[in-house]
Amino acid sequence: MFNHTHRAASAGLAFGLAVLGTTASAQECTTKIGAVLPTSVDWGRPIAETAQFAVDQVNEAGGAAGCQIEMVLRDTQVDPKVGVDAAKALVDLEGVKVMLGAVSSGVSMPILTSVTVPGGVMQMSCCSSSTAFTGLAEEGKTEGLWFRTFATTAVQSAIGAKVAQDQGYGSVAILYKNDDWGQDMGRMIAADFEAVGVAVTTSIAINDAQPSYRAEVTEALRTQPDAIYLALYPAEGTAAVREWISLGGTQNMILANSLKSDEFRENVGMQYLGSALGTDTSSPRSDSADAFRAAYMARFDSEPNGPGLANSYDATMIALLAMEAAGPDATGAQIAEAVARVTDPAGTPVTADAAGFAQARDVLGGGGTVAYQGATGNVQFDVNGDVSAPAVVWSFTETGTQEVSYLPLDEVDAFIGSLR
Amino acid sequence: MIQNVIDGVLTGSYLSLGAIGLTLVMHILRFANFSHAELLSLGAYAALVCDALVTALAPVLAIKLAPLSLTWALGLAIVLSMVLTGLSAVVIDRLVFRRVRERGAELSMVFASFGMALVIRNIIGLIFGLSPKLYSQEIAFATVLSFDPLILVKPDQVFVLLAALVLMFALHLVLSRTTFGYSLRAVAENPALAQINGVNLARTIVAVWLIGGGLAAVAGIFYGMSHQIIPVMGRDLVLPIFAATIVGGIGSVYGAVLGGFIVGLAGNLALLVLPAGYTPSVPFLLILAVLILRPHGLFGEARA
Repeated sequence: MFNHTHRAASAGLAFGLAVLGTTASAQECTTKIGAVLPTSVDWGRPIAETAQFAVDQVNEAGGAAGCQIEMVLRDTQVDPKVGVDAAKALVDLEGVKVMLGAVSSGVSMPILTSVTVPGGVMQMSCCSSSTAFTGLAEEGKTEGLWFRTFATTAVQSAIGAKVAQDQGYGSVAILYKNDDWGQDMGRMIAADFEAVGVAVTTSIAINDAQPSYRAEVTEALRTQPDAIYLALYPAEGTAAVREWISLGGTQNMILANSLKSDEFRENVGMQYLGSALGTDTSSPRSDSADAFRAAYMARFDSEPNGPGLANSYDATMIALLAMEAAGPDATGAQIAEAVARVTDPAGTPVTADAAGFAQARDVLGGGGTVAYQGATGNVQFDVNGDVSAPAVVWSFTETGTQEVSYLPLDEVDAFIGSLR
Repeated sequence: MIQNVIDGVLTGSYLSLGAIGLTLVMHILRFANFSHAELLSLGAYAALVCDALVTALAPVLAIKLAPLSLTWALGLAIVLSMVLTGLSAVVIDRLVFRRVRERGAELSMVFASFGMALVIRNIIGLIFGLSPKLYSQEIAFATVLSFDPLILVKPDQVFVLLAALVLMFALHLVLSRTTFGYSLRAVAENPALAQINGVNLARTIVAVWLIGGGLAAVAGIFYGMSHQIIPVMGRDLVLPIFAATIVGGIGSVYGAVLGGFIVGLAGNLALLVLPAGYTPSVPFLLILAVLILRPHGLFGEARA
């Protein structure tokens, strides 16, 4: 009985679709792209909706490479196993050549190494920030198939070194959290300090959940640095800094964005934080970013304030532009190669909307290149598929934090370039 | 080096206080109480509340005992917190441990204590929030004892050390000079025989919890004065305190005192030879070394 009804319904649906197909769209084909995102967590769903928003705009402009685009979305549940299964199904069963996602580095990484690279599929993540991907790309293990529109911690590290240079600190001691992120930061900031000629007196790991950081702080104090760099979270940051100041350590501090917290400011006390400068990445202040903001608000009735929304939009848009540039029936590798043609700084600027996509199609069709002006600014990937981001330097005030200076993307890129 | 030794001794003072309570409970009630370190948190937060109450009721007491960051109010709060924490320990025993003790095996007690630790820690987190709290927002500056080599000591830490030593000495007198002390030791030796000789077992157990809880409260408050008060402080301290107890030998109050100082010193000296990332392994290494060389600890004795 159920089968019968089901079949009847399917027949009706198929008929309906066939009618729609001949009237609503001139295109006969649909290309599937894959998306593996944590839609089961509250901050993951908007990221997926923003990706779909970009797909809708491209379809409005007539689709990519001559076909309508269908984004097949699978939930990762922020779990590497679930993410890999989902990605594998998309590649093996749906035959996608482009994979959007994942969000967490820990999920993106196994998908990259065990699904997309072996399957020759281009992977574009909106939100994974680990420098492990950079390392993998440097070893050539991503085969040029990996991109992300989220800036790595390298930007913050470089700006930390810039602050030390601008303040004229001759030597700095580093305290870093002993986890993946902290070790990354500790390693990079040490290299960046050396690059700008600031001596690193010592680099000390701060372990989580230790009853006391007295010994670590004493060790750093012994080296008598001009300033300290702190890549810590507020809980151990507060403990370590209070210890540091009580022992007469310098109040010249450079802080990673993790310490941009009221808890840290209140428990250490403003009277000791007057010379503390923090670093952070920033959303771009460009017309294209404002345009995205306006388009997003028109579509969703809210500001795009969640994490990774602008990045998700750009990841999707660039992937689809690359598909357009690579032409019909392109392989994942060909699409990945075409990314350079749509993010070419010397190319024709195109906006991040349906009109921009249509314009890009014309330019690319004529053999030209385009410079995508996206929600996160003029996105440019380096050879490892990494992007940079604008940065801010901030300081604490009685009520919160204030911006000390803003460094636009090109200044950040120029400074990072000067370090290497 | 000298600085590390001084810091080690100062750290050792609150570890010792925590270890004394633990060793008494482990010896007399014969189970590894993993919730003991939560009594430190309980004590620290109780003092935080009492301090606020006393200051509100009698603002004159908010005067600092220079050069310490300790106020009269906090001093009073320490005493109140000792009582409150001791009583909480008795209540916890009534509600949970006594029931398990009467029905379950030794291992059930260990699991029950794990459970209690989680319950206490999360209740504290629910009430006070997960971010750190401080008795005094101001930072107490260290005094420079010598410039070359640079030796820095905080007045608070000296107070903590002296207060800890006074408490330990008082406990020593009680255990060695009073009838109560003898009965306590008798129960530890052989509960059945002690009861035959007229020792009230139930009352002794209450006394053990009161002493253990009270000392834990002081340890927690001293830790809070030196560092910060945070719901997970019990979790962070449980390992050093167990290490101190095991190194000293379960059941030996003097062993616990020495064990506390050894663990404190080892933790501070470790950084001279080990990279900072590996220092948390030191208490484990100490436990291993002692268990291999002297299975019953430095002062412990084998018992059937």
